[in-house]
Amino acid sequence: MGRGGYFERYLRVDLGRPSAEHVPLDETTRRAVVGGVGLGALLLTRETPPGFDPLGPEAALVLAFGPLVGTPLTTSAKLAFVAKSPLTGRISDGLSSSSFAIAGKRAGLDAIVLVGEAAEPSIVLVDEEGAEVVPCPELWGRDFTISEASERLGKAYPEHRFAVIGVAGERLVRYAGIANEGRHAGRGGLGAVLGAKRVKAIGVRGSRPVPLADAEATLGIAKDLARRSLGPATEKYRALGTVANLSTFNRLAALPTRNFQASTFEEARKIEGEALHETRAQGRGSCKSCTIGCEHFFEVRPGQRPVKMEYENLFALGPLCGIGDPEVVLRASSACDELGIDTISAGGTIAFAMECAERGLFPAGPLAEEARDLRFGAGERMLVLLEDIARRRTPLGRLLAEGSRRAAEIVGGEAPSFAPHVKGMEIPGYEPRALQTMALGFAVGTRGADHNRSGAYEADFSGKVNRFEASEESAAHAVAAEDRAAVMDALILCKFLRRAMEDFFGESAEMLRAVTGLPFEAEELVRVGGRITLVRRLFNEREGWTPAEDTLPARFFEEKLPGGAAKGAGIDREGFARSIKAYHARRGLDERGFVPAEVARDMASLIRGKNR
Amino acid sequence: MVTIELYGVARLRAGREVIEVDARSLGDALVALGAACPALERVIVAGGRLAPGWLVALNGAQITADLATPLGEGDVVVLVSADAGG
Repeated sequence: MGRGGYFERYLRVDLGRPSAEHVPLDETTRRAVVGGVGLGALLLTRETPPGFDPLGPEAALVLAFGPLVGTPLTTSAKLAFVAKSPLTGRISDGLSSSSFAIAGKRAGLDAIVLVGEAAEPSIVLVDEEGAEVVPCPELWGRDFTISEASERLGKAYPEHRFAVIGVAGERLVRYAGIANEGRHAGRGGLGAVLGAKRVKAIGVRGSRPVPLADAEATLGIAKDLARRSLGPATEKYRALGTVANLSTFNRLAALPTRNFQASTFEEARKIEGEALHETRAQGRGSCKSCTIGCEHFFEVRPGQRPVKMEYENLFALGPLCGIGDPEVVLRASSACDELGIDTISAGGTIAFAMECAERGLFPAGPLAEEARDLRFGAGERMLVLLEDIARRRTPLGRLLAEGSRRAAEIVGGEAPSFAPHVKGMEIPGYEPRALQTMALGFAVGTRGADHNRSGAYEADFSGKVNRFEASEESAAHAVAAEDRAAVMDALILCKFLRRAMEDFFGESAEMLRAVTGLPFEAEELVRVGGRITLVRRLFNEREGWTPAEDTLPARFFEEKLPGGAAKGAGIDREGFARSIKAYHARRGLDERGFVPAEVARDMASLIRGKNR
Repeated sequence: MVTIELYGVARLRAGREVIEVDARSLGDALVALGAACPALERVIVAGGRLAPGWLVALNGAQITADLATPLGEGDVVVLVSADAGG
């Protein structure tokens, strides 16, 4: 047993046999990637063969904890779900916060790896001794909401904490998520990976205290960080939550509207965070072990359960689909959460379908017939379509359950040019033409268009770059943003803390020293951030990545923004290509974007590990 | 006159959406903003400067914190939280 932060082992559960074994986790691995998304990426690579089907028995789903979960540090109750995405065919990781993360860690584990497929629909129960695969015919195929399934599991197994898939995960919707206690590992279809394994839920139970190398120092850091987490740096999250972004983005013409045909929305005033706060606020909440409390709940109708709303849900199910009715957007967000689908991909795919319908691109027959009343702004139609997608119950629902990239390939014609994705993953709420350093971050992202693994929008909002032009300078910002995000997601701490930390890498190293007893330094953590990106890229290369994937849909190069403060903005294809090359150089990749052979050789023993 | 538009926390704190000030530079405008809206002082504007995490978009376009940025009749200063994530 080490001095702190780690239990130095993970649990590998083979669902097919079924069996479970504890696998040692050596110090070299822990120092190299810290935990969270880094550990998850490494274990995913180690536990799978090249070219595996993300929905097949060889697929692995990794639940990776960080060294800080279970400590008194604010926002540390997090875990990373990591797998090969059935949406992108590339690596995907989703973070989630809840007592599930704490209970899993306190089962004496740094990670849980699920491989194989259960013989019948089951739940997996994990504790300090190992794991049990328990058939659950009473939960599978019953059309329960996430809340209903979670409630039943909680009653049946009161000592466990659960991560659950919804009906969309069971039906293998390629952007189904995994939910735990109201939080969602939403992106990339990780819920479908679990569904393909016929696993409805994972339950964890544990009571082992997470060891602290220096408890007094850890407590001191935790108190200081908690104090700072309540300062002005996080006031936006406490006062309004992330929905505050909408009005600002609209004013800056950075708000994706009608499937990225515009970047301002004429009905923004009806759904902006300030308006929701004034007319519908119903209190706020927080993740487990969080002092910030960014969750804001809003009234749908009097007497109904309030709905939690975030900016990404709001933009994707609102302006992106041309919908300005706050009640519809709130209902849609709640539906996605209860069906278990990612709101960004759901909104993006439906917006794409709305544009196809308005352009008359669906082939004559059932698809065109079903899409005849699908138009931007058709809120009630969107609500029905969400149900159709999650259950794959109509031709259009089945098509859109595949995500916008696959749907566009099937629709054909000009559809792929405006399918709003990178590497198959739908683009979040940052208009690339108005935020072009972020556009670069989207293009090179290892899990596709991603605002959480690349915070490059911060450069666009900093005044340090021209937000209407991606440049070589943008590349430096994109790399720095990725490195910092990778380390935050390895520790794991909430990104909303970032402005409360004056010296992110230095303070993170101090935390790690106090918790683990290992001599982490700031410079080492910068290298860890870069290394995690390379591990992800090596996984993607192994699974068939090509340089042509690091780009944006043609729309962003060929169509200028039509109005607002970004009127006339477009992305210059050649300039963007130069910024990608600059990114490759700064990231230490070869000119085409591959990890150089000598670097891959140096990382081979880390990637391979000692246990396989 | 220069128009200052407020969004998010700034709007909540000030209790208004728009303020008009007489200013020839961004620095002038921020001094006037702080005087007109004491609730913004220290947290969003501090003695004529922007507090950490706050910037402006001049006429909604380019983003800056340069206090010497000249302003003219009809310019719009959009006060922006640099913390855009979520």
